[in-house]
Amino acid sequence: MNYFGGIDVGAISTEAVIIDEGDGISGYSIVETGANSTDAADEAFGKALLAAGIHRDAVTYIAATGYGRVSVPLANKTVTEISCHALGAKYLFPNTGTVIDIGGQDSKVIRVGDSGKVLDFTMNDKCAAGTGRFLEVMASKLRVSLEEMGELSLHAKAEAHISSVCTVFAESEVVSLVAKNQPKEEIIKGLNRAITNRVWGMVKAVGVYVPVTMSGGVAKNRGVVTLMEEKLGKPIRVYAEPQIVGALGAALFARKQSREGM
Amino acid sequence: MKDMGVPGIMRFSRMGKKRRPRKKNASLGPPLECNSRLRELMATHYLLSRYAQGAKPVAWVTSGAPVEILRPFGFYTFYPENHGALCGAQKMGPELCAEAEEHGYHQDLCSYARIDLGHYFSGKTPVGRLPKPDLLFASNNICQTVVYWYKALAEYWKIPLILFDTPYNFREISKADISYMVRQLEEMIPLLEQISKRRFRYKRFREIVGIAKEASLTWGEVLSTMKARPSPMTIFDAFTHLAPIVSLRGLPAALEHYRALLAELEKRVAQGVGAIKNERWRLMWDNIAIWYKMRDFANLFAERGMNFVTATYTNAWTETIGYLDETKPFESMAKAYSLVILNNNLDHRLQLMERLIQEFQVDGLVIHSARSCKPYSVGQYDLKRLITERLEIPTVVIEADITDSRAYSEEQAMVRLEAFFETLEG
Amino acid sequence: MTEFHSPSRKDYLLKQREMYGRHIFGVFPAQYPRELLWAMNILPVEIWDPPLDLSYASAHLQSYICSIVRLGLEFIVQDKADILDGFLFPHTCDSIQNLSSIVNDYLKPGKPCYFFYHPKWPYRESSHRFYIEQLRDLAAQLGDQVGDLDYTQFQQYAEKGEEVASVMRELYSLRASGELCASNVEFYRTIRQAEFLHPDDLIPLLETFLENSRGSQASETPVILTGVLPNPPEILALLDELKIRVGDDDLLACGRRYLVPPSQAKDPFEALAERYFHMPPCTTINSPIRERLENLISKVEGSNAKGVIFWIVKFCEPELFDMPHLIEGLKKRGLPTLVIDVEPNQELTGQLTTRIEAFVEMLA
Repeated sequence: MNYFGGIDVGAISTEAVIIDEGDGISGYSIVETGANSTDAADEAFGKALLAAGIHRDAVTYIAATGYGRVSVPLANKTVTEISCHALGAKYLFPNTGTVIDIGGQDSKVIRVGDSGKVLDFTMNDKCAAGTGRFLEVMASKLRVSLEEMGELSLHAKAEAHISSVCTVFAESEVVSLVAKNQPKEEIIKGLNRAITNRVWGMVKAVGVYVPVTMSGGVAKNRGVVTLMEEKLGKPIRVYAEPQIVGALGAALFARKQSREGM
Repeated sequence: MKDMGVPGIMRFSRMGKKRRPRKKNASLGPPLECNSRLRELMATHYLLSRYAQGAKPVAWVTSGAPVEILRPFGFYTFYPENHGALCGAQKMGPELCAEAEEHGYHQDLCSYARIDLGHYFSGKTPVGRLPKPDLLFASNNICQTVVYWYKALAEYWKIPLILFDTPYNFREISKADISYMVRQLEEMIPLLEQISKRRFRYKRFREIVGIAKEASLTWGEVLSTMKARPSPMTIFDAFTHLAPIVSLRGLPAALEHYRALLAELEKRVAQGVGAIKNERWRLMWDNIAIWYKMRDFANLFAERGMNFVTATYTNAWTETIGYLDETKPFESMAKAYSLVILNNNLDHRLQLMERLIQEFQVDGLVIHSARSCKPYSVGQYDLKRLITERLEIPTVVIEADITDSRAYSEEQAMVRLEAFFETLEG
Repeated sequence: MTEFHSPSRKDYLLKQREMYGRHIFGVFPAQYPRELLWAMNILPVEIWDPPLDLSYASAHLQSYICSIVRLGLEFIVQDKADILDGFLFPHTCDSIQNLSSIVNDYLKPGKPCYFFYHPKWPYRESSHRFYIEQLRDLAAQLGDQVGDLDYTQFQQYAEKGEEVASVMRELYSLRASGELCASNVEFYRTIRQAEFLHPDDLIPLLETFLENSRGSQASETPVILTGVLPNPPEILALLDELKIRVGDDDLLACGRRYLVPPSQAKDPFEALAERYFHMPPCTTINSPIRERLENLISKVEGSNAKGVIFWIVKFCEPELFDMPHLIEGLKKRGLPTLVIDVEPNQELTGQLTTRIEAFVEMLA
C-alpha cells in the first residue's frame, strides 16, 4: 500500500495530511509553525505519521504548500496553496464552485472547475484587514479565544458598527466601544461583519459560483460563516477540520504526480 | 406604477431636518431662513430629473466644466459630484462605494467616482431616480480623475464624452493655451447641436454667460459677508449653499437664490447676528468638506467658540468666474475655467490662502487631507509648513475622505484636533 | 541596487557631458518629445524607480500617493540630482502635476524646471495645432538655457527617433512570434536603457541585442504584461524560472511608448506630432477603454499568449479605472488574468510569489 503526504507550512500553523490509494484521510496533524518552517514541517509530518500508524518509508511522494513550502526538504514537489485549497475542497465537497479561504496572514477566493482545477482566484490586498490577523488582534483586545469569537457573536442581541477598513483604525474603534461598555458579543459580531464584508468584495470580484466551501482557520468562526451565508443567501460547506484543506490538497497532488510517474 | 415623486420630495426636504427631535446645539446661532429655500430649490431640481429623461437632452457634467455652453441647447444638467456629496452627507458613501468595489473598482480610487459607479451597478440613490445621460461633459481643470471616471461611464452607456481639456497653469497660461481652449469650445458645437437637436444661439449663450457671471459675483459677496465679526454664516452652511453655483450656474434660479441669501446675511451683519453664539476664534478650511461629518464638526467647533469663516473650496466658484465677459464669451471662459485653483500652481494657492487668512482675519487653519482628491491634497504638507512659518498661525491636518467614512478614524482626528485647540487657545 | 541604476549609468552621463557638452535633464514619466531634447543637445534621463530608501518623501507626500512620485521626490530632496542641469515634468496625471509644482514652487531645487502639457483624447483639429505649439514653446523655453533649436539638427534627430522606433518594433515583433531567445530579465534590462542612453549608443546596443538574440523560444508559455513598469525585476526573474515568456507588453514605460508606428512627415514637428497622436492607447492620454481592450487582445493573439498579467503600481488611478472593463473583456474571451499591485523596488513577498505561481499553475 502506498501512502502520500501533503504539508502546508503557513505563517502561523503547519498542517500535514496523509492519504493512501483509496478514499479518506489516514492521518493528519496541526502544529504551530513557530520560528522555523523546516522544523515545523518535520514535526507536523511526524505527528501525522503517528496518527496514521505508519512508518515514514511508507510514504512514496510528498508535496509541500504554503508560505514555507520552499523550506521543506522532505518534499518532492511544491504547489501553491491556491491550487491545493481548490483540489482539497473539491475532494471534500465534489460540486464546490468557489472556495473562500481566510487564513492567518492572507485570504483567497478561488473559482474551482471540474476535477479541482483553478479557473480564477483573487487574494487580499497588502493589508491585514481581510485576514485572520484582524480577528486575532481584536480577540486579544477583548480577551477571548478565536474559537469563542464565533459562539459569542451568535448570542449577540445587537451589533456594533465597525466602520474602518483598516485593522489599526478598527482597533481604536474597539477600544472606544469597550470604554462605552458595549457588550463583548456585539463588538465581536461587528468585527465578524467587518471581515465578512471585506472578503465578500473579493468573492464578487471572482464571481459567485455555488456551492461555496470555506476553509482556513477563520472558517472555525461560526459567526463569520453565518454572516457569509447571509450574504450568499445559501448554505456554505465547512469541513469538520477546515484548517487541513490545504494540506489535503497537497497530498492529493502528491498522489496524482506519483500516478503520472513524474 | 408607484409614483415616487411626492414622497420622494418630502423625504428630500426632510433631509437636514431631524428625524427624531434632536436637541439643537446651544452654541449655534439661529439657522438661516435661506436654508429651507435652498432645500426646495435643490429638491425641485432633483424632482425634474425624474422627468428629464426623454423630455430634454440630459448631460452629466463635472463641477468645473464650462456648463454655460450647454445651457443654450436646453440640456438638463446633472452633477454626479453633487450627488456624491449628497450621498456622503446621507452616510451612504460606504454602501455605494462597496458596490463599485465589488465590480472591481479599487478602494483607493476617488470616492465620488466609486459612489457614482456604485449607483450605476445598483441603482441605489437617496434621491429617487437619476436620469440616464445622453452626453457626458467633463473638464479636467479640477482633476484628471473625472476623465478616467467619465471614460468608464462612456463605455458602460455607449454615449459620447466631450472633454474640455485645460492645460495646467505651471507658470502662466499662454496665448496658445487660450487658443486651444477657445477652439475646443467652437469644435464642440456641432456635436451639441446633433445631440440636442437645437441650433446654437450665440445671443442666448452670451446672456447665459452674463447670468453665470453675476451669480458668481453675488456668491462672492455672500462669502464676503463672513468677514464681519461675528460672521453671519458658518462654512458648513456655505458648503451646502454651494450647490446652486455649482450645478445651476447660468440659470436665473441660482442668481435669485444668492440675492436672497445675500440680503439675509447683510441684515444679520447689520444686526450683529453671528452664526455661532460666541465667536472667539475664526478659522479657515482647506479642501472639500468631509460630507459625513458636517453636523458633528459644526457642533464641535461651535461649542468651542470657533467658526470657519472662509475656505478655498467655497472661494473657488467666485475666484475666477469673475473673468467671464459676455463680449468675449469664448475667450473669457477659457481664462475663467483654466485658472481655477486646482488647475493652478501651488505658489498661487499659497498666496491665495495667505490673502484669505488676512482678509478674513483667520486665527487658525484646518487642512483636510482628502484621500480621494489628489490635486487638492498633494502639496498640503508643504503648504502647512509654509503657512505656519510665514503667518505663524496654528495649523492642523486631518486625514480623511470626502465621502468614504471608512477612511476616517474619529479617534485619530480627535487627537490632532485636541492638540490644535490647545495651541489655539493656549 | 537594480541593474538599471548601476554606477556605470552615472559614469555614462558624466562622460556624455564631458565629451559632447550635453545637458543632462531629469525627466519624469511619461510622454515627452525626446527627439526635441536630443536635438537641443539635451540628454533626457527618465526618473521612474531610483533605488532609494523612502525617508523624506512622507514629509511632503501623503501615504496614498504612488511610489513613483514618492521616489521621484525623494531623489530631489536627497540631493541625488547633483549631476542634472534641469528637470522636465510632463503632464501625466494629478500626482505628477502637483509634484511638478511642489518642486518648482516650494522646494526650489536650484535647477530650471520645465513643464510639458500634452493634449488629451478626444483628439480634434485643435489638439494637433496645440501639440505643435507646445513643441515650439518648449523649444523656446529650453533655448534660453541651452541655445536655440537648430532645425537641421531637429530633422536629424527626428530620423534617429524613427530608427530607434524601428529597432524596437522589430524586437517586439520577434519576441511576439517566439523568435527572440532572451530571458525576460535580459529583454527589459536592455530596452530600459532607452530611458537614458543617447540614440547614438542606444541604436547599436539594441541592434546588437537583436542580432545576438535571434533564435527560437517557442517552448515557453507566453503571457502579456500590462501596467506601468516592469519593476521589481525579481518578478521577471520569477517568470523566467517558471518558464513563462513575456510575449508582448502594454506597459507605460515600455510598449506603450516605444511601439509607435512609422511616421511619414518630413517636417520634424509634424513627425513628432504624428508619433504622439498615433501611439498605442494609454491612460495618460485618456485613450478610450475600447481601444485599450482591442490593443490588448491583438497582443494576445499576436503572441499566442495564454494569459494577461496586470502589473499595477499601488495607487495608480489611471490604470485602476480602466482595469475592471479590461479584465471583464478578457474574461469574456476565456483569458485568465492576474492582478499584482506593487511598490517599485520592493522585495518579492511570499504573497506575491504565491499569486504568480498560482496563476502559472492555472495556465498549465
